Parts: sequence; structure tokens; C-alpha cells
Amino acid sequence: MAINRKRVVIVGDGAAGTIMANKLRFHSTPEEIEIDVFGNSERHYFKPDGVQIPFGFKDPANSFKPTQSLFNYGINYLKANIRKFDLENSTVTCEKNRTFKYDYLIIATGDRFSTEELPGYDKAASHFYSLEASMELRQKLRDFKGGKIVIGQASIPIQCPPAPYEFTFQLDQYLKLKGIRDKTEIHYIYPLNRVFTIPNVSDFIERLMEERGIVIHKMFNVDSLDPMGKKINSLEGETLDYDLLILVPPHSGQKIITENGLADNSGYIAVDRNHLNYKDYDNVFAIGDATDLPISKAGATAHFQSEYLANRISNEVNGNAYFEAYNGDVACTTITGGNEAITLFFSYTRPPKANFESKADYFLKWTSSDTYFSAMLRGIM
Amino acid sequence: MDEVKPTKVIDARGSFCPGPLMELIKAYKQGKVGDVISVYSTDNGTKKDAPEWIKKSGNELIGIFDRSGYFEIVMRKSK
Ligand SMILES: Cc1cc2nc3c(=O)[nH]c(=O)nc-3n(C[C@H](O)[C@H](O)[C@H](O)COP(=O)(O)OP(=O)(O)OC[C@H]3O[C@@H](n4cnc5c(N)ncnc54)[C@H](O)[C@@H]3O)c2cc1C
Repeated sequence: MAINRKRVVIVGDGAAGTIMANKLRFHSTPEEIEIDVFGNSERHYFKPDGVQIPFGFKDPANSFKPTQSLFNYGINYLKANIRKFDLENSTVTCEKNRTFKYDYLIIATGDRFSTEELPGYDKAASHFYSLEASMELRQKLRDFKGGKIVIGQASIPIQCPPAPYEFTFQLDQYLKLKGIRDKTEIHYIYPLNRVFTIPNVSDFIERLMEERGIVIHKMFNVDSLDPMGKKINSLEGETLDYDLLILVPPHSGQKIITENGLADNSGYIAVDRNHLNYKDYDNVFAIGDATDLPISKAGATAHFQSEYLANRISNEVNGNAYFEAYNGDVACTTITGGNEAITLFFSYTRPPKANFESKADYFLKWTSSDTYFSAMLRGIM
Repeated sequence: MDEVKPTKVIDARGSFCPGPLMELIKAYKQGKVGDVISVYSTDNGTKKDAPEWIKKSGNELIGIFDRSGYFEIVMRKSK
């Protein structure tokens, strides 16, 4: 082992942890940096396919790969749950009480569905935010003969904020193809006084929804569910009944993050928005969905953050100065139905613009699982 | 209004839309009728969004106050 060899520990084996490890491997040699990734997932699922699988528009067999197979040569992948983070002594400990020392720690533990916040959720609602849930919803949609569908999100933030409208447009298309759109009402609920967080994108999406006869309920913050009576109630006093409820579950950060004192009850880690480090620790970072940064929780976010961090750490280890910063870059392509899609580019200071739909963007999205597994996750892009 | 003492103060300065409004809604859910909730924000969108939500949800907007470098929105939970 080289004398100054540094050990980078990455906790989390999802999009952020995998891209981070693979990019860092490209930026450094194993003699300079040892990379250890700790993770607990059997398979790596490409979540964006969740907006197509429930309609049978995509074969789920191509949407996941064995997690271990996705790490480039020269990375140690250890299947373990990290239970303890000791930042003072620069160690992490896994469930079998094995402790590992690090020079740099990158936390990429993502978020979780905190359905305990909304009693009755499991009985009342379907969703498309995991492979299992998407498969269940696929069956429900196959059996659906018409009626009233209420669709939306239980709270903010969620992963991929555009996914609920993206799903809704495809639901409209699916019902048309199935010949039951005229027998179905689609009601779209949203917590704010628009249909998306960013006003100019919201105007664009709202117009498309109106064209497609989707009924919009703004400022609908879900308060409670009545699974028996098939009703959903808002904090603002509105009640909607439904035949099928498709509701993105409430999200929060991982419990283990709060338990280790790394975040408040939300579980999201507060990091420096430009340098991604936690508090005053120059060697502890968080990336991906695990942070509380005011940007989209997206694979694309993790991708840009990893690019910055891999450059920074590899330069630092080699004694080079590195003055770049992460500026909040995100890019996101979302399907708007009818084989069209829009792409949004934004950063902390540059809001996105949505002004046209394109078939090329749709093609990009449709093939994105191939690009994701072969290039993006691998750190090539 | 400066005399009304908030039951809860949320400091959402530096957080972007819809962060401050979602913090306000969270405090509203956890609070009880009569509570006065104040949110500090630097995000201009919140100046429009929060009062609209307070009205729609049937609560009382006590006021929007410019402070140095930020503003404060104060509401009373009425239901
Ligand atoms: C329906 C849907 C559509 C989407 N569409 C898009 C899109 O079009 N574009 C886009 O960019 N993004 C999209 N996203 C978002 C994107 O998938 C997520 O933002 C991304 O997966 C986040 O990656 P992550 O690594 O931060 O978290 P995750 O992928 O959740 O990974 C976290 C990993 O950490 C592991 N872990 C957690 N705790 C521990 C622990 N204590 N010890 C060890 N391991 C642990 C978990 O098991 C998990 O494997 C979409 C998401 C959904 C649900």
C-alpha cells in the first residue's frame, strides 16, 4: 500500500453512490485512493422506468441489474448496512459491529417512503415509485374499466418532482389506447397554487393538462385518507372520492441519519450548497437524495454532484488546488404523452424554461435505461 | 402587530420556494387552533404563495413584514 494512499468510504449503493465511486475511480489510481462502497440493495433498479412500466410501455426485465455488477474494476463493494457514523474518529460501523476508518466519507443513502406519516396509505393508495409498486399498479390498470382516478403526491419534497405529471400524461394516453378515456375522469391534485414547483414550467404543464381534459385541484395538501369510503381529504377542506388513487408516498431521509445526529427529524442532511461538505468537516460530504439542498432529487443531480466531488477529492489527494464549485446543475427529460417529451436544464441561479415538446427528447428518455446502465452509472458520461 | 407573540417561529431564510411554505404547512399541521406561526423567508415567491395558502386553508393572515434582508409572514391557525 502506498504511504499516502487515502481511503474514501461511500455509504449507499444507489445512483449517487455508484456514479460517485465509478467517477472517482476514473479520476484516480488504486495506488492513490482506495474506494470502499457500503450498500444493502440486491439489485439496482432504474426508477424513471416507473412512469412507463404500469402501462406496459416498457418491459421491467430491462430496468434493473445486479448491484455489484455496476462497479468498475478497482472498487471494493461491501454488502453491509451502516449503523453508526462517528465523524470525530472518522469511522463508520456496520451491523456486525465491524468498524471502518476513512479519510473521506461520502453519504449517499438516498431517502425513504415515510408512509407512517399518512395513516391508511398502504390500504388506500397505489404508486409507481418502486418496481414492486409499479407492477401492482400495472395489474390494477389492466383491471380498470373506467371511473374516477385521483393522482398526485402526498407531500413535498419527492424524488423527481416532474414524475407525477409525467405519469399523468401517459395515463391519459394509455386510457385513450385502451378505449376508456371517455369513461374516466382524471383528477390531478397538487400542494401549491399551481401544478409544478417552478411557475413557468407549471404554466406550460397546466396548459397541456387542460387540453387533455385533466381536472386540476391546486393547493390540495393531503391531510387524511379514508380507504373504506374511498375518499381523500385536503388540509384546505376539500374532499375527493375516487375509484383508483395513485399517490406518491411521503418521503423523508433515512432514520439512521437522524439517529446519528446528522440531520433533524426530516432525515435530510444539510450540506454546503456549493461544496457539499457537512458542517465544518472538510472530509465528510452528502450527495443525491440524502441532502436537503433546494434542488430536484434526481439521478441527474447526483451525476453532476459526483463529477464535482470526484474532481475535488482526486485533486486534493494529489496535492493540486481545485477551485471549482457545484452550482446546482440538474437536467431532466420528462414525457408529456403522445411520444413527446420536454427537457429542463437548471441550476441554483438559472431557472428552467419549458417551451417546446420534442420527439428527439422522447427518444432520449425511452432509451435512457440503456444509457444509464452502460454509460451514466459507469462514470463515462 | 409587532405585539402579537408567535407561538412558533420558522427560520426558512436561504431556502427556496416551496421550502418556506412547506415548513409553514408542517408547523400548521403540528400546531393547535389559536397558535400564531411566523415564517422568515428571503424567497420572493413565498410572499405570494404563503398568503394564498393561508387564505385558501381558512386561516388568518396577520401580516407580511419587511425586516432587514428578509421578510416575515405571520398567520394564526383558525381551524
Ligand atoms: C418514478 C421516478 C422517476 C424518476 N425519474 C427521474 C428522471 O427522469 N431523471 C432523474 O434524474 N431522476 C429521476 N428519478 C430520481 C432518481 O431515481 C433518484 O433521485 C436517484 O435514484 C437518487 O439516487 P440516490 O443514490 O441518492 O438514492 P437511492 O437510489 O435511493 O440509493 C440509496 C442507496 O443507499 C442504500 N442505503 C441506505 N441506507 C444505507 C445504510 N445505512 N447502509 C448502506 N446502504 C444504505 C439504499 O439501500 C440505496 O440502495 C426518478 C425517481 C422515481 C421514483
